[in-house]
Amino acid sequence: MNDSLATWLTTALAIGGAAVILLSLIGFLRMPDVYCRSHALGVGSTCGFTLLMLALWGDLGTEAAGFKVIAAIAFQLLTIPVSSHLLALQARRNRLPAFGEPGFEKQAEKDSH
Amino acid sequence: MTYAALTLPLVLLVVAMLLALVRVARGPTIYDRIMAFDALVVCAAGVVALLSLAWHTTVFLELILIVSSLGFFSTVAFAYYLDRARPPASVRRRRQRQPSRT
Repeated sequence: MNDSLATWLTTALAIGGAAVILLSLIGFLRMPDVYCRSHALGVGSTCGFTLLMLALWGDLGTEAAGFKVIAAIAFQLLTIPVSSHLLALQARRNRLPAFGEPGFEKQAEKDSH
Repeated sequence: MTYAALTLPLVLLVVAMLLALVRVARGPTIYDRIMAFDALVVCAAGVVALLSLAWHTTVFLELILIVSSLGFFSTVAFAYYLDRARPPASVRRRRQRQPSRT
C-alpha cells in the first residue's frame, strides 16, 4: 500500500515537472521580446526542475541521496534566476526595445529576416 | 519505477528540448540563443534525473550537479564576454543614435 502510494507520487511529480518545463519552453518560443522570454524560462524551468528532483528524492530515499538532491535543487534555485537576470540586464544595457516600447516593431521587422 | 510510467515525462522533455533548439535556430538576438542553450542544459539534467529514476541508481546525481553547474558557468561566461566585447553593428548604430542611459 505504502509502496504503491510512493510510486504514484513519484510518477505524478515526474510528469508534473516535465510538463512544467515543456510549458515554460512553449512560453519561451511564443513570447514577443527578450525580457518576456527570460521571465518565462526562468520561472518555469526552476519550478519544473525542482519537481523532477523531488521525484528523484522520493524514489531513491533520504539516506541514499538526501544531500546531493538538496544540493542540486538549491544550486538550480540560485542559478537559473541569476543567469536569466544577467541576460536580461545585458539586453537592457544594449538597449533592445521591450514589447510595447517605441522602436519594437522596427526591431522585430529587422530581426525577422 | 517502471519504464512505462516514465515514457510520458521523457517524451515531454524531448519535445521541450526540440522547442529550445527551434529558438536556438530562430532566435533574433544572441541573448535568446544563450537562454535557449541554458534551457537545453536544464532539460538534459532533467533527462538524467528521469533515467536515474528508471534505473534506481544514485550514481548519476554527480552528473546532474556537474551538468547544471556547467550550464550556469557557461551562461555567466557568455554574459561576461558580451559585456566586454565589441557590441554588434546594430547595437552600435542604436547607441550612436541615442545617448547613453547609464
